[in-house]
Amino acid sequence: MRPVAIIGTGQTQHARCRDDLSQPELVREACLAALHDADVPPSDVDAVLISNMELFEGRAMPELWVGEAAFAARKPCMKVATGGTSGTSGCIAGFHQVASGLFDVVLVVGFEKHSEGHTQTGMALTDPFWDRAVASGALGNFALSVSQYMAERGVTEQHAAEVAVKARRNASNNPHAHLQMPDLTTDAVLSSRMLAHPLRLLDMCPQSDGACAIVIACETEARRRCARPAWVKAAVTRHDQPYLGDLGNRLAEMRTLREAARVAYEKAGIQQPLRDLDVAEIYEPVTYAELAWYEALGFCTDGDAGRLIEEGVTTMQGELPVNPSGGVLSTNPVGASGVIRVAEAALQIHGRGGERQVDGVRTALATGYGVYAWADAIILGEALQ
Amino acid sequence: MTERLTVPLTMDLSWQYASGAAMERFCNGLQARRIEALRCGGCGRRYLPPRPMCGDCRLRLTQWVPVGDEGRLEAWTIVHLPILDGRTGETRPSPYGMGLIRLDGADTTLNHFLVESEPARLRIGLRVKAVWRKELLGAMDDILHFEVLP
Repeated sequence: MRPVAIIGTGQTQHARCRDDLSQPELVREACLAALHDADVPPSDVDAVLISNMELFEGRAMPELWVGEAAFAARKPCMKVATGGTSGTSGCIAGFHQVASGLFDVVLVVGFEKHSEGHTQTGMALTDPFWDRAVASGALGNFALSVSQYMAERGVTEQHAAEVAVKARRNASNNPHAHLQMPDLTTDAVLSSRMLAHPLRLLDMCPQSDGACAIVIACETEARRRCARPAWVKAAVTRHDQPYLGDLGNRLAEMRTLREAARVAYEKAGIQQPLRDLDVAEIYEPVTYAELAWYEALGFCTDGDAGRLIEEGVTTMQGELPVNPSGGVLSTNPVGASGVIRVAEAALQIHGRGGERQVDGVRTALATGYGVYAWADAIILGEALQ
Repeated sequence: MTERLTVPLTMDLSWQYASGAAMERFCNGLQARRIEALRCGGCGRRYLPPRPMCGDCRLRLTQWVPVGDEGRLEAWTIVHLPILDGRTGETRPSPYGMGLIRLDGADTTLNHFLVESEPARLRIGLRVKAVWRKELLGAMDDILHFEVLP
């Protein structure tokens, strides 16, 4: 397999409603920003990958409608749609295309315009025989999982509120982030509206309009075009059984993410994640998921996630800053969210993070999460070897 | 600023899905208040919903086992937000209770409604029982909801 690097990233301003742009225009804005960042003209792109959950906007074949805006006309173009992992899996597909020698330069773009569709409808269209009569969207599923996770691992509403505050404060350093709440307090989180016990409004991610793109290149192109490429050290994706009831204690066990991380760490030579990683951009659609992922990703032992957030280990000043961008909790255009994780991790290696830059990043982790049934783990490094 | 141009669309659509043999037997059983799971000959896991294959063992499932309509509450929540019903497109009245129930004789859990007059006493580990619809139609909502056993 050939070495692969990310040489450019670009994203839109994310917001609740971007009705100033059509879907293709939104995609074009992110693609142009990434190509400009990589100093790659559209004509040099060999292939394009698009990540989007088409049912959320209620129109088929999004790759047809936005392909031209992603500079895919007369080029190979594919779509990846795997829930929350659409973006990270799209990036991984692009890595494979370049690593295999099939293409030298690949553009990946993820997008969602939740304001133009019915996200809840998309989420409600589950197995028609088994659970559609009772399915209660992402919110109901998370709430059930969180009740199990809290009982088993002893995390509290206060711990979750601290995650919410960290995310929104970090987002205030990110000009692209949807939610801008620099003065948020844990008291405000704990007194926000109850959506599904124990989840409150400020425990949840928003629904955003937005797009994000990255440019992937082979070693020759990366060295020629980029001063500090973000090399792909590992990229692992895992799928699981279909029904939520198949998965036992879902947040606490999360065997897809645990397995993806274990294999990725082994490939990248990560022995102690907290020590060996310099920054992490993880897919946390709900506060409690961030705590569960600390455990699944080996940042701490099972049951110790509460202590990690209490002691500030994952803040910008901590040993391992998690989600300097503000994370999914601050910005969630679903098809884009995984690409944003990868782009933000690459940005930290590139050293172009601006106010959200962590000093001296050499190794970065990005993860994706899709309805418990999918998980992705990607490790980027500043050195090829 | 001028009003932006948007195109409003409304649609009325319908679908029809084939059940497959395992789900057909399960749904027919519901009409007689009978719940059955499929057991994997490899790992021994008793699967609900019943399906042709165990994802972990990659083995074909053929061994039907009986399952009770009582079980253990493994997780619970009270949903306060109006949520769309994925069969009708109508919004469900809220608040309502939900639980993950491990029925006696099954190893997977069932996601279903939970009715409890004193929500403060909800906790993991409670024993719950299915409340059946009077006129059984052979569908999952023949079980209306679960209630906590005294």
